[in-house]
Amino acid sequence: MRQIFAVFKRELGLYFRSPIAYAISFALLLFFGLLFSNALTTANQQQQPADAVNFVPNLLTFLMFLVAPLLTMRLIAEENREGTLEVLMTMPIRESQFIIGKFLAVWAFYTILLLLTVIYHVILTTVGIPDSGRVFGMYFGAWLYGGAALAVTLIWSAVFEDQIVSAFFGAATILVLYLADVAASWASSLPDATLSASLSGLIRELGLQAHYEATLLQGIVRAEDVLYFVFLIIGALFITTRIVEVRRWRS
Amino acid sequence: MIEVHDLVKHYGSTIAVKGISFTAQPGQVTGFLGPNGAGKTTTMRILTGFLPPTGGQAIVAGYDVFEQSMEVRKRVGYLPESVPLYRDMTALGYLMYMAEIRGVANRKQKAQEVLERVQLGKRAHSRIRTLSKGMRQRVGLAQALLHDPQVLILDEPTIGLDPIQVLELRDLIRELGRSHTVLFSTHILSEAEQICNSVVILNQGNVVAQGAPSELRSTLERGGRVMVRVSAPSDAVLPIIQGLPEVARAEVSAESIVVLPANLETDPRPAIARAVIEKGWDLIELRPLAVNLEEIFLELTQQESAAEEAPAQPTENEVAS
Repeated sequence: MRQIFAVFKRELGLYFRSPIAYAISFALLLFFGLLFSNALTTANQQQQPADAVNFVPNLLTFLMFLVAPLLTMRLIAEENREGTLEVLMTMPIRESQFIIGKFLAVWAFYTILLLLTVIYHVILTTVGIPDSGRVFGMYFGAWLYGGAALAVTLIWSAVFEDQIVSAFFGAATILVLYLADVAASWASSLPDATLSASLSGLIRELGLQAHYEATLLQGIVRAEDVLYFVFLIIGALFITTRIVEVRRWRS
Repeated sequence: MIEVHDLVKHYGSTIAVKGISFTAQPGQVTGFLGPNGAGKTTTMRILTGFLPPTGGQAIVAGYDVFEQSMEVRKRVGYLPESVPLYRDMTALGYLMYMAEIRGVANRKQKAQEVLERVQLGKRAHSRIRTLSKGMRQRVGLAQALLHDPQVLILDEPTIGLDPIQVLELRDLIRELGRSHTVLFSTHILSEAEQICNSVVILNQGNVVAQGAPSELRSTLERGGRVMVRVSAPSDAVLPIIQGLPEVARAEVSAESIVVLPANLETDPRPAIARAVIEKGWDLIELRPLAVNLEEIFLELTQQESAAEEAPAQPTENEVAS
C-alpha cells in the first residue's frame, strides 16, 4: 500500500505541474463550454427539457480516444526510456504496485476533470429539473468508461518507449473499442442468420459503447455493465504488469 | 556479504555470464573489473534482483536473489551505470520519493542526511536537470545509501567525473567499505588498486582472476611484457631474443625491444639478461612494462587457463630484492 501511495502521489502531483494536463483540461473545458452554452440557448428557445442539454459526460467518453492516450502515454514509456524503472525494480516494490499507483493517479486526474464538468449540471438545475438518477448514471458511467479507457491505453505505454507511438496505438485501440457497435451492425447483415446474430452480439458486448450509451447514459445501472468496465480495468492492468515484467526479464 | 555460485545468464542464444563464482566480504570493497561486455552489469543486475539468473545461485545479505528478491532489495543499495533520475524533481524530492517507496522512517531527515554525506546539502532544492553530471552521480549514490543498506552495488560510479570528484568519490567508497559490503565495477585498474580490498576480473562472462589487487598485479606483471634496451642495433638483438624458449614474441618499439613471455609462470628476464651478456653486449635496461588493464585483458584472454591457476609464488626477482 505504501508503495502504491508513493507512486500515486508523485504521479498525480506531476499532472498538476505538467503543461500537457493543463492543455488538455483547457481545451476540453473550452470546447464543452462553447457547445453547452450553444445547446442551452437552443433548448431554451425550443422549450426542450433540461436533460437534452446534459450531454457533456457522453461527449467526454467519445473524446476518450484522444484524452486517454495523451494522459497515459508518458506514464511507463518515460520510466522505461530514462531507465528509472531499473532503479525502482531493485527496490522493495512490485510491478503491480507500481502499475496500480500509476493507474490510480491518472484515473484520479481524470476524475477531477470529470468533476469539473459537473458545473454544467449545476447550471442546468438553475433553469430546469434534470433527472438526477439519469445524471448519476451518466457521470458514474463516464467515470468507469474513462477508467477502462485509461487502463487500456496504459498497456501501450508499457509496450513502447516512444510516447508518440504509444499514444497512437492507444488512440487506435480505444477507437476500435468505441466503434465495436458499428462493426456489430455490419456483422448483423451477414447472410448466415444464426452466425451473424451471435457474432454481432459478441462484438457489440466487447465494445465500450454497448455498456454505456444504451444503459448507464440513460440512468440504468446494470451489474453487467459495471462488471464489464471493472474487468476491463483489472485485465488491462494485469496485461500491463506482465509486459513490464517481461521487458525487465529480457532487458 | 555477497556469495555467487556458478551464476549463468543467457540472453536468447548469447551467454552473458558463464557460470561465475566469487564472494564479497562485509567490511571490504570488492572491485569488479572487466572490459565492456564482460558481464559486469549483467551480474550486478542479477545481484540487485533486477534480472533473474538463468542458472546458479546468488546469495546477497543472506537471501537468495531470485527466491527472496524483496528481502534482498530491502538490504541492497544500487547505483546503475547510467544513473537514471527523475529530472523534473528536486534532489531532495527525489530522495524523499525513493525513501517513501523503501519505507524509510523520518524520510525528510534521512534524505537531507544522505545529501550532506555526498556533499550536496546546498543543492537539495535544485531540480535534478540543472545539476552537473558529477552532482547527479552523487544524487544516485545518495539514493543507494538512503536505507543504510548492508550491501552496496555501484556500477562504474566514477565514470564521467572530473578528477577531483573521482578522488572524492573514491574516498567515500573506501569509507563506506568499512561498514558495508561494497561491490563496485570499474575498468580502471589503478582505481581498483587504490580502493579495493579484493578484485574479481571478468572477461567474456568468466572470472579470469580474483584476489587482492597487489597480489594480482604482481602476478600479472610477472607474466606481463618486458622492455629490453641493449647497446647494440635492434636488428641484431631481436632474433636472439626471439630465439629464447621463454619468449613468445618480441618486437622493436622505438629504441627498445618489447618482449611478450611465453607463459605466466616463467619470468623471461633472467634468460634475456644471460643471452645479451653472452653476446658481449651491454644490458642498459630490463624491466617489466607497467601494466594497464587493457594489456592485462589481452594477456588474460590469450592465456586464460594459465592465469586462472597462477600461484602467488615469489619470483626470483622479488626474492633477490
